[in-house]
Amino acid sequence: MSYLDLTLADLHQALVAKKVTPLQLAAEALKRAKANGDNAFERFMENEAFAIASALKEPEANNPFWGIPFVIKDNFSTKGIETTASSNILNGYIPSFDATVVARLLAAHAVPIAKSTLDELAMGGSGTTGHKGPTFNPYDPKHERMIGGSSCGSAVSVCANIVPFALGSDTGDSVRKPASFAGLVGFKPTWGRISRFGLFPFAPSLDHVGYFTRSVEDAALALAVIAGSDIEDATTSHKQIEDYTRLLKKDIKGVKIAVISEVVETIRNKAVIAAFDETLTALKKQGAIVSYVSLDKQMLETIFPTYLTLCCAEATSNNANLDGIKFGPRFEGKTYQEVMLKARTAGFSELIKRRFVIGSFALMRENQDVLFLRAQKNRRKIVNAVNAILKDHDVIYLPAAPGIAPKFLESGDRLSDTYLIADNHLVLGNFSGLPSITIPIGFEDKMPFGGNVMGRAFEEALVLQVAEKIENATGYRNLSVKAVNL
Amino acid sequence: MKEINKSVLKSASNSLLFDMTDEQYAVLEKEFTILLKQMDLIGQTQGIDDLEPMTFPFDVATDSLREDVPSEPLPRDVALQNAKDVVDGQIKLPKVVG
Repeated sequence: MSYLDLTLADLHQALVAKKVTPLQLAAEALKRAKANGDNAFERFMENEAFAIASALKEPEANNPFWGIPFVIKDNFSTKGIETTASSNILNGYIPSFDATVVARLLAAHAVPIAKSTLDELAMGGSGTTGHKGPTFNPYDPKHERMIGGSSCGSAVSVCANIVPFALGSDTGDSVRKPASFAGLVGFKPTWGRISRFGLFPFAPSLDHVGYFTRSVEDAALALAVIAGSDIEDATTSHKQIEDYTRLLKKDIKGVKIAVISEVVETIRNKAVIAAFDETLTALKKQGAIVSYVSLDKQMLETIFPTYLTLCCAEATSNNANLDGIKFGPRFEGKTYQEVMLKARTAGFSELIKRRFVIGSFALMRENQDVLFLRAQKNRRKIVNAVNAILKDHDVIYLPAAPGIAPKFLESGDRLSDTYLIADNHLVLGNFSGLPSITIPIGFEDKMPFGGNVMGRAFEEALVLQVAEKIENATGYRNLSVKAVNL
Repeated sequence: MKEINKSVLKSASNSLLFDMTDEQYAVLEKEFTILLKQMDLIGQTQGIDDLEPMTFPFDVATDSLREDVPSEPLPRDVALQNAKDVVDGQIKLPKVVG
């Protein structure tokens, strides 16, 4: 057994007991990262990791991140470290500051070992569109299945036991969907709970910081370190941070759990439904009150087009600064427009360009009322409906995805209810900004899949409590490719 | 709503300061046939136009200001470190005015 196979909490105990040192962990994590064949990394941070780890001598018993190796999605600014968001337009870009979450982890003496791959500029859900090509799911040695995106490399880092914790970002479901495909805990706390300063903006009204761990306890530990208001991010909340780890063990007697019937009905995978039902039975046994609630199916089918319209429109504007002048590859031209046109034509992939055009189309004067503004209005309708459920219930619990990780060449019907609802319902958490966590609940063909718990704004403690009870019921704590294949 | 055709898409992409190949425009035009059907689902929602547009998940009250502490601005060399064409401490660009 290697210490890197432990959860963050258990690894902390080993560090405190001086059974292993931060330097040994960093060296082993880098060795595993370099040996990994899933295309999970943009670059390794060997010099930084060894410098930080070497300086850590005396363990801090009350600091769970002391000496813990971790991975950073490559859309978080890292001072002095090239940060490309897996896009050619940002090749060579070196930030002059650290994102707040990175700074907080460094202040806690965690040890960054690598920047991870993502769908280009975090705009994708497949883990296939980054400039280094597709990232593979380590559960599938044939490399036929995706791990999902956009936080693909970070998901690989944790499920392949390279690190026990990795940063991601989540605008649609970019942490919580890959978590389902990788058998991980993927947590996106409330919008405003974690600072986004230094995270490359994709669609700021929907963007969240999220992360991967291999246990719910680790997710609670991490939140306490990175949550909190930030003077650099005016959208962060001043609400008090709770003692998430202590509250984790509270029982869930009387906790009201809602299951949205119309979402479950669009999932045709029997293994997913059977595993989901088993977890519901376990939650009821522990005293939770489970109720099926109904939402207008036609409204649920508008989740995806509403999301696509809003995120593309916001992205079009947010990425206007990627010009090949202040940073990025420079091309010659007779006018600055020509310089930019050449840089942006060469720097963005086809998918990103298509998304920008969709956003631009939605914002055209002739279309704005019927596309962009209607999408914003529909977002309100959807969020009102979700919040109405949470007036009478404490959390909403659903399967995270309609099945296991798809194969790269699989292409479903984009107008089917399975695609429009089951494949995209996690976006509800981004529309509403509510805390949402994915936890593993089952396997099919040796591939994992997850469930998802979403709660009221800033009630992360309760969301984590329910997630922990599901984890206890399934026994899927510290799940990894290695643990499953033992 | 504007009709989708290659010329509209090319105009949109050029106004965003990039271009695509003919094949890529064809793919995008095809993609729009599905997208517009999906977007039409929103238009069919009853009473949609009576709602207020939602721009953020919820209001975040910002009731604090940064301390008014003097600090050093970003040094020029750091601010320019990512630009590829710098002359005399300034980013070089083609002439904009006459």
